[in-house]
Amino acid sequence: MLETRNLDKSFGAVHVTRNVSLKLERGERRIILGPNGAGKTTLFNQLVGELTPDSGSVHLAGEDVTALPVAKRARRGLSRSYQKNTLFDGLTVEENLGLATAVHTGNATQLWSDSLAKPEVREIVNEVAEQVNLMPYIHAKVSEISYGVRRQLEVGVALATRPLVLLMDEPTSGVGPEMSKGFHDLLNNLPRDLTMLIIEHDMDLAFDVADTITVLNYGEVVFDGLPEAARGSKLLKDIYLGNWEDA
Amino acid sequence: MFRHNTLRYAVLVLLASAALFQAFTAEYFGLEILTEILILAMLVLALDIVAGFGGMVSLCHGALMGVGAYAYALLSTTAGIAPPVAMVGAVALTGAIAWAIGAICSRSHGIYFIMATLAFGQMAYSYVFEAPIFGGDDGLGGIARLDLSFVGIDLNDSRSFALFCLVVLGAIYGVSVLILRSGLGRSLTGVMHNEQRMRALGLTVWRVKADVFGLSGMIAGLAGVLAAQHIMYISPGLLSWTVSGEALVVVILGGLGTLVGPLVGAAAFVVLKHELSAVTTYWHLVVGVILIAVVMSRANGIFGWIEARWGDRIERRLSDTTRKPEAKEVLGDA
Ligand SMILES: Nc1ncnc2c1ncn2[C@@H]1O[C@H](COP(=O)(O)OP(=O)(O)OP(=O)(O)O)[C@@H](O)[C@H]1O
Ligand SMILES: [Mg+2]
Repeated sequence: MLETRNLDKSFGAVHVTRNVSLKLERGERRIILGPNGAGKTTLFNQLVGELTPDSGSVHLAGEDVTALPVAKRARRGLSRSYQKNTLFDGLTVEENLGLATAVHTGNATQLWSDSLAKPEVREIVNEVAEQVNLMPYIHAKVSEISYGVRRQLEVGVALATRPLVLLMDEPTSGVGPEMSKGFHDLLNNLPRDLTMLIIEHDMDLAFDVADTITVLNYGEVVFDGLPEAARGSKLLKDIYLGNWEDA
Repeated sequence: MFRHNTLRYAVLVLLASAALFQAFTAEYFGLEILTEILILAMLVLALDIVAGFGGMVSLCHGALMGVGAYAYALLSTTAGIAPPVAMVGAVALTGAIAWAIGAICSRSHGIYFIMATLAFGQMAYSYVFEAPIFGGDDGLGGIARLDLSFVGIDLNDSRSFALFCLVVLGAIYGVSVLILRSGLGRSLTGVMHNEQRMRALGLTVWRVKADVFGLSGMIAGLAGVLAAQHIMYISPGLLSWTVSGEALVVVILGGLGTLVGPLVGAAAFVVLKHELSAVTTYWHLVVGVILIAVVMSRANGIFGWIEARWGDRIERRLSDTTRKPEAKEVLGDA
């Protein structure tokens, strides 16, 4: 469903993505682990087109999308959430979800009707609000909801485009352990055919959700396989798990 | 997204009543001032749509108005096309030019956007100034007003023309609200709040900006057509960037992104201009001081300031009185 081939990217002398090849099957839920600065977010930016790789290619549902701009990739079914909330602050939860929904239902550029009044938009908005537990806050403005709820909305907005592939950049970053757990339950309840690539810092929680795991270190894939294998991996312990279990 | 609240409705009713009162009671000079206000109001509505709801601060809206005026003048006089058709043609042409400007400038932001629009405005200005067909410095005269005699209205009468402009302004206001409440208007708000995210959601951002800029240009063009019909004579000064600058001042004075505020601003600005210029030739200084005071106060213009102080209070007061008494008890401390 989503594939990268030999993706490579440098910022000046800093080599942040080193020959990364990944392959996600339809419905696969893959977690990306890696220490700070490993190049996880940079990889996402290249997947969605916000950054252009120096070399290599990105394929979505069998099509080479490397040359496509961000919006076109999004319309082909690639959606992402951000590590740092990227919401529409003055608007309500409903309006935030509505903006996302309107684009792919073809209501975002209509002149003679309000997108949020359209039944097909409302239906998806409500459905997504249910999926990410936002119903109680649906009419609240972003400025009125707590940080944790904003994290849910961050994912909700990405989900409201009804993507084929959903990329989530540390959806639980900055939220407490209980809420993280709730978040993972929420992810587990999403439709099984949705392909997900999730950057996650919390190892244990990652194992709740993951079908497969990729570990990045210094921009390089150092592990790619099943969670059980990841737990046992010596290499992983050294560069990542070691530090984590001490914490 | 644009929303009406009680205060906005109240101010609209107040403005409309004042305009109607003026239109029916004023003598020639008062009617001229009213018409000037109404035409400026159209221009600032156009500007508020792009600047206040799309973050596209344009310094070419004066020039767009000028394009509308010249297009109407040329079509109706030189080309001899009937005024109604010439009006439609002028508005469409201005819209098309504005769409192209919006499309080209859509990638730039902030100061760069302002400069790019200024450059387009100046290009239009010098072209109109230099090209012989536009009459150069002398401008164009003998411009006819719309003929509504078939319904018994003589627009050559100042009162009828002022009323006609009021009706057009009302229609423009209604259309502006519809635009801002449409799917396109919502997307525009999304783009202003967070362009990167809208793109990541799959929106073709430049198209939204260009479409809205084009629609706004049509409104500016219509304002220009009416300005040409009002004075019945036009000169390149209409396209000068100072017209755009003045429109921007009015929008900011009134309250960016409120639609109602710029209407208040237009009335205040024109009245102030005429009152002050009767007293002193330095009236620009006074307007400057007021603008500085408004900007320094960090309020969103005069109307924005009023709304921030009283808008919510009025809303609450009203919902309190319409609420059942028991409910009032519970929410007593609200
Ligand atoms: N636009 C940029 N210009 C220069 N260097 C950059 C840029 N973006 C990221 N980097 C660098 O690339 C490296 C990888 O950054 P990236 O944000 O991808 O890491 P990450 O794995 O997401 O880290 P974290 O866990 O902290 O989010 C870092 O050293 C960072 O400083
Ligand atoms: Mg990151």
